Amino acid sequence: MIYLDNAATSWPKPPAVVQAVSNAVAECFGNPGRTDHRSSFEAAEIILGCREKLAKLFRVSDPLRICFTSNTTSALNLALKGLLAPGDHVICTSLEHNSVWRPLMRLEQLGTEVSIVQASADGTISLEDIAAQIRANTRLIASIHASNVTGAILPVAEIGRIAHQHDALFLIDAAQTAGSIPIDVEEMQCDLLAFPGHKGLLGPQGTGGLYIREGLTLTPLMEGGTGSDSSNPYQPEFEPDRYEAGTQNLPGLAGLSAGLSYLLHRCVKDVSEWEHVLTQRLLEGLAEIKSVTLYGPPLGRRRSAVVSFNIKGKDAARVAEELATEFDIACRSGLHCALLAHCTQGTAKSGTVRFSPGPFTGIGDVDQAVKAVREIASH
Amino acid sequence: MADSGSALAVFPSLNQVALVKRALYREGVCVEMLRTPKCLSSTGCSFALRCTLRELDAVRNACARAGMAWGGAFEECKTEGGLEYRPCDTQD
Repeated sequence: MIYLDNAATSWPKPPAVVQAVSNAVAECFGNPGRTDHRSSFEAAEIILGCREKLAKLFRVSDPLRICFTSNTTSALNLALKGLLAPGDHVICTSLEHNSVWRPLMRLEQLGTEVSIVQASADGTISLEDIAAQIRANTRLIASIHASNVTGAILPVAEIGRIAHQHDALFLIDAAQTAGSIPIDVEEMQCDLLAFPGHKGLLGPQGTGGLYIREGLTLTPLMEGGTGSDSSNPYQPEFEPDRYEAGTQNLPGLAGLSAGLSYLLHRCVKDVSEWEHVLTQRLLEGLAEIKSVTLYGPPLGRRRSAVVSFNIKGKDAARVAEELATEFDIACRSGLHCALLAHCTQGTAKSGTVRFSPGPFTGIGDVDQAVKAVREIASH
Repeated sequence: MADSGSALAVFPSLNQVALVKRALYREGVCVEMLRTPKCLSSTGCSFALRCTLRELDAVRNACARAGMAWGGAFEECKTEGGLEYRPCDTQD
């Protein structure tokens, strides 16, 4: 199979990830923080190792400022609902995924004011437009780092600067970029960073997390056992326990830790360069097919490893189905859980077919995919 | 205090204990993680590092570097009735 669906979840995983998950299930089975035996302490060290590698990757000085969640959506819900109150104002872009848009729509029902800054069809966002939306009660600017539909990379450092100039906080949704594009939370002026474990970071599904800048406290979305401060009827005040109620996903985090080791060895910059080569080759190949419409930033401009397209006169879902059944190529069609972004690029009705290569995709895979699209387009 | 004696440095959570243990390991200091004896755990569940009295300074320094406060340090004293814990150091 040619796998071009890394924006949904990465595959294959490095063999060490599979091994680490297996070991965590078979040999290191303790529940960290809950019990008194060796395996429980080993489990705690595995989880700490994962936190430390994430801190190194995102340039976070204190690993305990990273709390684990089950995915990016959980992390974004924690950030948004744990921070915003009725009367607060929040700004986001028209490229946001439903994992930001839907929580914000819910918060809006409860009295939070929401402004959505319109991006252009190719995913470009105007910093002036963002600044123009700032109000006296603006508490947060939330921005996707790179669109999962257009691939457009947003100028997050500049957006963060605007937020801080106006005493607002800045949240980055790094669902498509963590592990694929270098991230430095200080350089990016980032107060909150939500990330998945199972995409660019190469871990298993069911993993993700939220970086919370020092000095910033959120209201937890869940309360419960943390293995600490147990006589306190309320959640602990200290991180990460405050946000990690319930037993952790040890097998998942062991796998994520192994994925991070792979990335730290290979370097995110190298992954980024390779995915850029693959993406540009895809774009070049598809651009030569007359009936293909490409979306997102123009050829040559930097984008994340996402290429959305349609074939004139053909339903996106049928194209994806034909790619899967006739050519054994895995990709994703539809709205990609991001209606706002599809409205922005004018594909809300049709959806698109999306190719998303990853760190283990080869040039030959990309060429085969272009060839397959050409064949589908020809009949 | 005799240098050969053992001590417990108490922390609110296992996450903190694991972090300090890892930092000490990088400095060549090997300490043991354990659940805090109930008599020392004022907050219900907490965890501790067991080290020698001599290593207590290294633990304190590692905490300071991590910007973390411990919940106290106690000397482990063997008595006829079992183990007793005597406060031996506190952070300002």
